[in-house]
Amino acid sequence: MIASEYIESFSIAFAALRQNKLRAVLTTLGIVIGIAVVTLMGWALNSLDAAFDATIDILGNDMLYVDKWSWAGGNNWRLMESRKNITIEQAEELIERLKTPQVAVPMGSLWGRSIIYNDLKANGFTVTGVRATYTQTPAGNVDEGRFFSEIEDRYSENVVVVGYGVKKVFFPNSDPIGKTIKINGMQFTIIGVIAKRGTALMDFVDNQVFIPLNSFFGLYGKSIRSISIAVKAGSPELLDDVRSEVVGTMRIVRNLPPGKDEDFSINESQMFHEQVAEIRFYIWAIGIFLTAMSFIVGMIGIMNVMFVSVTERTKEIGIRKAIGAKRLSILMQFLVEAATLCVAGAIVAILLCIVAAAGIYFAFKEQAPFLTPYIPVPILIIAIVVSVVVGILAGLFPALRAARMNPVDALRYE
Amino acid sequence: MQTTTPNEVLIQIEHISKIYTMGDEKVFALRDISLTLHRNEYVAIMGPSGSGKSTLMNMLGCLDTPTSGEYWLNGQDVSKMDDAELAEVRNKQIGFVFQTFNLLARASTLKNVELPLVYGGIKGEARKERAERALQDVGLGDRMGHKPNELSGGQRQRVAIARALVTKPSIILADEPTGNLDSKTGVEIMRLFEEIWKQGNTVILVTHEDDIARHARRIIRVRDGLVESDLVNPNPVTLLD
Ligand SMILES: Nc1ncnc2c1ncn2[C@@H]1O[C@H](COP(=O)(O)OP(=O)(O)O)[C@@H](O)[C@H]1O
Ligand SMILES: [Mg+2]
Repeated sequence: MIASEYIESFSIAFAALRQNKLRAVLTTLGIVIGIAVVTLMGWALNSLDAAFDATIDILGNDMLYVDKWSWAGGNNWRLMESRKNITIEQAEELIERLKTPQVAVPMGSLWGRSIIYNDLKANGFTVTGVRATYTQTPAGNVDEGRFFSEIEDRYSENVVVVGYGVKKVFFPNSDPIGKTIKINGMQFTIIGVIAKRGTALMDFVDNQVFIPLNSFFGLYGKSIRSISIAVKAGSPELLDDVRSEVVGTMRIVRNLPPGKDEDFSINESQMFHEQVAEIRFYIWAIGIFLTAMSFIVGMIGIMNVMFVSVTERTKEIGIRKAIGAKRLSILMQFLVEAATLCVAGAIVAILLCIVAAAGIYFAFKEQAPFLTPYIPVPILIIAIVVSVVVGILAGLFPALRAARMNPVDALRYE
Repeated sequence: MQTTTPNEVLIQIEHISKIYTMGDEKVFALRDISLTLHRNEYVAIMGPSGSGKSTLMNMLGCLDTPTSGEYWLNGQDVSKMDDAELAEVRNKQIGFVFQTFNLLARASTLKNVELPLVYGGIKGEARKERAERALQDVGLGDRMGHKPNELSGGQRQRVAIARALVTKPSIILADEPTGNLDSKTGVEIMRLFEEIWKQGNTVILVTHEDDIARHARRIIRVRDGLVESDLVNPNPVTLLD
C-alpha cells in the first residue's frame, strides 16, 4: 500500500516538475551549489586522507626514528640546533641495549646530492648510509636485485641500492643492476632497486640511495651529520613499550640526569597527523561555511517554490482528499516532490563536480599533488543522501500545510 | 419497477448542526437535522441557494464534521472518527460527483478513475482493469487516454461518475451534478444515475431544479438549515424503458 502510493508520489512529482521546468531549475540552483561544495570538499578531504595513509605506510606504522631534529617542531629550531649530534658510538650503544624492538638501524643521510652515470648528471638525491639490517624496514623492500650484506658493510664495499627515482632518471629502458654510478666522486655498483613507494605527499623517498654505513663514513667522514636511528617495533601495538624503552635507554646513553629535558627527539609517522589535521580543518571550515550558505539559500528557494506549488494545487489537494487520500499520502506527495527537485539538483551538481575535479586535478597538480582526478563513489552517495535530507527539510512546512488542509475549503478554492 | 419498501438503514444522522464562525458572526448552515436513509434509496435534496444543501452533503460524505450531533454510517459512528479513518470511509464507502466535475486536469481519464484505487491500495493490472471497466460502464471506453480538457462537459461528468463508482461505494453523493451541463446532457447524466440506482446503489443528489429532483424516489427539502419536508415522490419520472 505504502509502496504503490510512493511510486504514485514519484510520478505526480515528476509531472508537477515538468510543468514548471524553469522555476524548478532556478530554485534548485542553491542546492546545486551546496551539493557541489559538499562533493568537492569530500573529494579534497578524501584525497588528502588517501595520500596521508600512503605516507604512513612509507614511514611504517610500527616505526619510530630517534633523531637530533624533530619532524614536528619548526618553532624549536634554535633549541634543537644547540643539541649535540648523536654519534655512531651512541647509536650503537643504544641499539646494543634495546631489547623490545624487532630491529634498530643507525643511519646517516645527506640531502641534495648529485649522481653521475656516464655523461648524465642529476641532482636532488639523498644519500643514506645504513646497516644491512635496514632491509627489515619498510624502505628495504627491494624490487630488483638485493640489499647489501653485513660483510659488504664491514668492508666498506662500494655497492648501492637505489630508489625507484634513480632507475627512472638514468635507466628508463635498461637494467640498472651491475651498472656503476658516481657518488661524491666515487664509483658505486648498483646491486638492488627499491620498489616505487613515493606518494603525492612524499615523492622524495624514491630519490634515495642506500650505501653501507661504513662506505658512507668513508665518503663523508664519521661526524659530518648527526646519526639517526630507525627503530622497528614489530607491530603498532608495541610502539608504546618500545618508545619508553628507547627514551629511557637514550637518556642513559646521552648521560642525562633525571629531570633534565631530552636532548633528542622521537619521530613517528603519527606526527604528520597534526599537519594533515590542520589542512583538513581549513578545508572543512571553508567548505562548511559555503555549504551552509548555499543550502540556506537553496532551502528557502525550494520551500518557496513548494509553497507556491501547494497553493496552486489547493483544489487538487481537495479532490484527492475527497476521494480518500489520507494526510500522510498528501504529505508524502509533496515531500517526494521537494526531494525529487533536490536530487535532480544533486545529479547536476555531481556531474559538474566530476568534470571540475578532473580539471582542478590537472590545473593544480603542482600545488596540490595529493588530489585524485576522480571523486570516490561513497562521496557521491553521501551527496545524494544529503540532497534528499535537504529536500525533505525544505518541503516539510509546505507539505504539512497541504496535508492539513480542510477538504471542503480546498475543494472550494478557485 | 423498484419497490419502495425500505432496505436496511445506511445513514442515520441525529441532531446535526453546523455553525460557521466568521469573525463575530455565526452562520447556522445546518440546525439540528435528523435523517434516516436506507440502502438503495434514490433521494433528492432540494432547496434554494444557501439553504445548506452542500453543507449537508459534505457532512454525509464525511468531507466535513458537524459542530454537534451524531452520524452513523453503516453502523459506524462517523462523528468520532479521526482524519485517517474518515479518509478511508470516503475512499471505500462514498463516491462523490461534483457540479464542477473536479477532475485532475493533468491526468488522463484513466488515471483520474484509477486515483481512488491508488489511495485504496489497489495495484498494477487489477487497478487498471477496474478503472477501464468503470469507464466502459459509463460509455467512455474509447476515451481512456484523453485529458479532461479534450472532453465535453457531459463526458467529463461521466468520468467523474466512473471515478465515484470504481471503488464500489455504499453511496453515490452528487452535488448539483447537472448544474454545469445543458439540459439534454443533463438528462443523459440523470439516466446514468437511474441506471446506477437500478443496479442496487444508493444515490443521493443535491439540486435546486424540480426537473432533476422529479427523477428521485424521495425528496427532502431544506431551508435555512432545517428540513422543511421529507416526502416520497408520488410520481417519479423514469428515463429507462
Ligand atoms: N466555509 C464556510 N464558511 C462560512 N460560511 C459558509 C461556509 N460554507 C457554507 N457557508 C454558509 O452556510 C450556508 C449554507 O451553504 P451551502 O451549504 O453551501 O448552501 P447550498 O449548497 O444550499 O447553496 C450559506 O449561508 C453559506 O454562506
Ligand atoms: Mg451548494
